[in-house]
Amino acid sequence: MTAFARLLRSKTFVWIVLILPGLWPAWPLFVRQDSSALADPLKFILHHLGFVACLLLVTVLTFSPLRVLFPRSPVVQALNRHRRLVGVSAFVYAALHFTTHLLYEGGAHPANLPGIFRNVLDKPFQLTGLIALTILLLLAVTSLHAAVRWLGGRRWKNLHRLAYVAAALIAYHQAAARKIFPVQVLWIFIPLVVLELLRLWKTHRPRPAPAAARP
Amino acid sequence: MLIRTPSSWELPESAVTPEALYRQRSRRDFLRTLGLGAAALTLGSRSVLAATAGFPDQQNPAYNGTGLKPTPYNLVTSYNNFYEFGLNKDDPKDNANRGWNTDAWTLELAGLVRSPQKIDVNALVRQLGLEQRVYRHRCVEAWSMVVPWDGFPLAKLIALADPLPTAKYVKFTTFYDPSAAVGQRSNSLDWPYVEGLRLDEAMHPLAFIATGIYGKPLPNQNGAPLRLVVPWKYGFKGIKSIVKIELTKREPRNTWNVMAPSEYGFYANVNPTVDHPRWSQASERIIGGGIFSGRQPTLMFNGYEKEVAPLYKDLNLRVNF
Repeated sequence: MTAFARLLRSKTFVWIVLILPGLWPAWPLFVRQDSSALADPLKFILHHLGFVACLLLVTVLTFSPLRVLFPRSPVVQALNRHRRLVGVSAFVYAALHFTTHLLYEGGAHPANLPGIFRNVLDKPFQLTGLIALTILLLLAVTSLHAAVRWLGGRRWKNLHRLAYVAAALIAYHQAAARKIFPVQVLWIFIPLVVLELLRLWKTHRPRPAPAAARP
Repeated sequence: MLIRTPSSWELPESAVTPEALYRQRSRRDFLRTLGLGAAALTLGSRSVLAATAGFPDQQNPAYNGTGLKPTPYNLVTSYNNFYEFGLNKDDPKDNANRGWNTDAWTLELAGLVRSPQKIDVNALVRQLGLEQRVYRHRCVEAWSMVVPWDGFPLAKLIALADPLPTAKYVKFTTFYDPSAAVGQRSNSLDWPYVEGLRLDEAMHPLAFIATGIYGKPLPNQNGAPLRLVVPWKYGFKGIKSIVKIELTKREPRNTWNVMAPSEYGFYANVNPTVDHPRWSQASERIIGGGIFSGRQPTLMFNGYEKEVAPLYKDLNLRVNF
């Protein structure tokens, strides 16, 4: 466990773990030449990037409850060193996902952009995605130390609680994008909800009365 | 394009069907010469006798889809919506080929008809013959393909049953077998899948029953052994692996309409001016087009406006989407 925790503390290791999912589509598209991926490669990439962004956002949100629940775990401590890196990478993947969406809808023709944005406003599942992306952008920009100082700790913390709003929007975004409710949404979000409930339970449970108060 | 490897099956458009050899020796002749039993013995393959193994008798020049570039065979057979076998596009190819047997298949013609009957699909193909047609295929999810289908006009099939004058609609039902179809073990849709057409739509010369693609048997994931193809409607109208066709007086419900009436109508005509709540229908992605192919504008009635628009001259297409 400590060896794994030591590995997790390494920034290089975390960088590699964060970059690899972005390279993954090359495997089915170029190496395996998987027909169902090649049928519409851009759609495959689009969905993959969104999926990774969503997983990373949920992952970084588990760090705080894990720290409350297992404060002494070296793995949890190591993870919490990388909150900003993982959070920003969730934004980067979300931004790549949106860029791919523009390319997917518009085929790289700037003239198509107004129509694409009109559609975004028109389709609830797209709009929630864009709002979530805007939140992540705001959080990524204010993740700089200077921004923390400028905002002050309390205000910064409140602002960054918007990450939960983004997560809820993305759960909707993902579910509503499909014709039939995709079960993966449950797999991704239920563990986070359980951890948050456990954290609430731990921070708000009644404490045993101090010994001196006994008659 | 950087990721497509052209393979031997990627025939030029002109070579899709009219392979002289097959034209000279039609499937019917082939069967007549050899005799059914002899064919089975000689070639030792059950599938040779399956309806889906029929080579196209000939391409119907009236429906050769001038200017259309057929989607490569491996993409048509690997990118499927067939929720009976899973929700992802690559699921049906895996799940429909794990012991699901479509060789022996009986189709029932029933309802308001003079001659209700149950027909073996092989017998049906021998009776009606096959032709090939190149059709556009447009999914409600805003992607499209071009498919060379082998089969026969739906009108010929309906004529066999001899509809009564009271018949106004046609209801199609697919198989129900959760032991073979993994998707039918969950309630993602109301099984079995059902679809419907107005009788005049069903009798339209474009409405087609396919038993093959590219001159090959219809693969299981594409709806073996026979499926509906209505090229001017969204793909979900093309019910796969049909077991029953019923003539009815009242408009039948169709599965997606039951699932989400605000999203999927009865008609489901391809219409670039009426959006789906989730997708714009103004344009479409071309399957097999590669990363930078962009989109192409969607045509009214999927390019079959001239042929089918008269069917809907009294219909508000915005309401009856």
